[in-house]
Amino acid sequence: MTGSPLVLEPLFMLGPVPVTRPVVTTWAIMVLLALFAFYLRGRLSREPGKLQSAAELVVEAIDHQVSEVVQRDPAPYRALVGTVFLFILVANWSSLVPGNEPPTAALETDAALALVVLAATVWFGIRAQGLRGYFATFAQPSWAMIPLNLIEQITRAFSMIVRLFGNIMSGVFVIGIVLSLAGLLVPIPLMALDLLTGAVQAYIFAILSCVFIGAAVNGEESTPPKARPEREPT
Amino acid sequence: MRIDWWTLGLQAINLLVLVWILSRFLFRPIARIVAERQAAADRILEEARAAKDKAEAAGQEAKLAADEAAAARSGMIAAATREADKEKETLLAAARAEAGRLRDMAHKEAERIRADEAARAGDWASRLAVDIAARLFERLPQDARIAGFIDGLADGLRQLPENTRGEFGADGEAIALKAPRALSAEEEGAIRTALSKALGRDATLAVTVDPGLIAGLEIETRHAAVHNSFRNDLDRIAATLTRDRNGNG
Repeated sequence: MTGSPLVLEPLFMLGPVPVTRPVVTTWAIMVLLALFAFYLRGRLSREPGKLQSAAELVVEAIDHQVSEVVQRDPAPYRALVGTVFLFILVANWSSLVPGNEPPTAALETDAALALVVLAATVWFGIRAQGLRGYFATFAQPSWAMIPLNLIEQITRAFSMIVRLFGNIMSGVFVIGIVLSLAGLLVPIPLMALDLLTGAVQAYIFAILSCVFIGAAVNGEESTPPKARPEREPT
Repeated sequence: MRIDWWTLGLQAINLLVLVWILSRFLFRPIARIVAERQAAADRILEEARAAKDKAEAAGQEAKLAADEAAAARSGMIAAATREADKEKETLLAAARAEAGRLRDMAHKEAERIRADEAARAGDWASRLAVDIAARLFERLPQDARIAGFIDGLADGLRQLPENTRGEFGADGEAIALKAPRALSAEEEGAIRTALSKALGRDATLAVTVDPGLIAGLEIETRHAAVHNSFRNDLDRIAATLTRDRNGNG
């Protein structure tokens, strides 16, 4: 390692656009998920098999979580929350592929995820409450809170970025360091822990997305108390 | 550290594309199939609920019908009971009346039989007594059977009214005399003498033998008679006994 591990080097160029390794890995994950979706879609039936049952279990769990947090019909939010969860989960677990670095270990990927969630939050808030209604929530409980509420929007998105990036990137670094120092089998427990961390982080990111969307859709004051974590997980 | 904005943009685009792909080819189809299955389950549940409601309604109707049938049966039983009671009362009254009539008839018949039996017993006793007396009288001497009754016969004739007494031996006709045996000449002469004395004129006798007299003598015309014999006495005693018994009974 001659440069900073946090700096992305382009693998190749698409015209003026540099394509880095997280992008390529993301494309691979997209292809994988798309193939899985196509495969499963062609085999959906009223009497599900094991794979369909597992997929239905995941979808129903996502719907349940969204309903619990947003307190609304989960259908409009299912695609975003479910995609965020599945993508982060698969991306985090892609570290199991030898020589592969999960795209979520790159700050740009996490930032893209957070930005998409932030944009979706604004979009769902405006669609639910109208333009004036949504932006009026920034003046709650008084006009003086507008700067703080705007900053909150940025900071909580930033916290999502940093949380995911820190957890995944640190796992990659730790495993790399242990692997270079101790040998082949020693990092295996750490990799197992990394799997758990990856799943937990995917869940946290998806749930926080639900919380932010719920707050935007229902207004800050009407957000269900149980859906508002008193202290965000790290 | 620096941000690669190209990578950030590409990853955002990638994520949006992935959202579209998974939404179209994974989440919607799965949600649709789950919803279809849920709808089918709801439909089955609804059908089951409707069938249950229908069954409950049918059960309710059956219960109502059973209640109505029970009420009708109770009414019919009550009506039949009343009718039976009425019929029973009628039959009982008829039976009581019939029994009373039969009892009265039986009482009357028993009374009649008892009276007949008593009469027969009385007659039998009377005949027995008469027979006993007749057998006893048969032991009397042959002379006593005639001679002892001549004066009585004359007294009986004498006690008759004058015009009645005149019928005996009127116009020279012989007086019909019944005797238990053939009379001797002395006996016939004594009788003729006694009767002539009682009549106040001479009398002739036409004697007929009647052993049934046992002892004694009897004379008679077409309108009058003088009975002075044991047979006559025994018949009178028997008649008196029978009359007394009937009067006491």
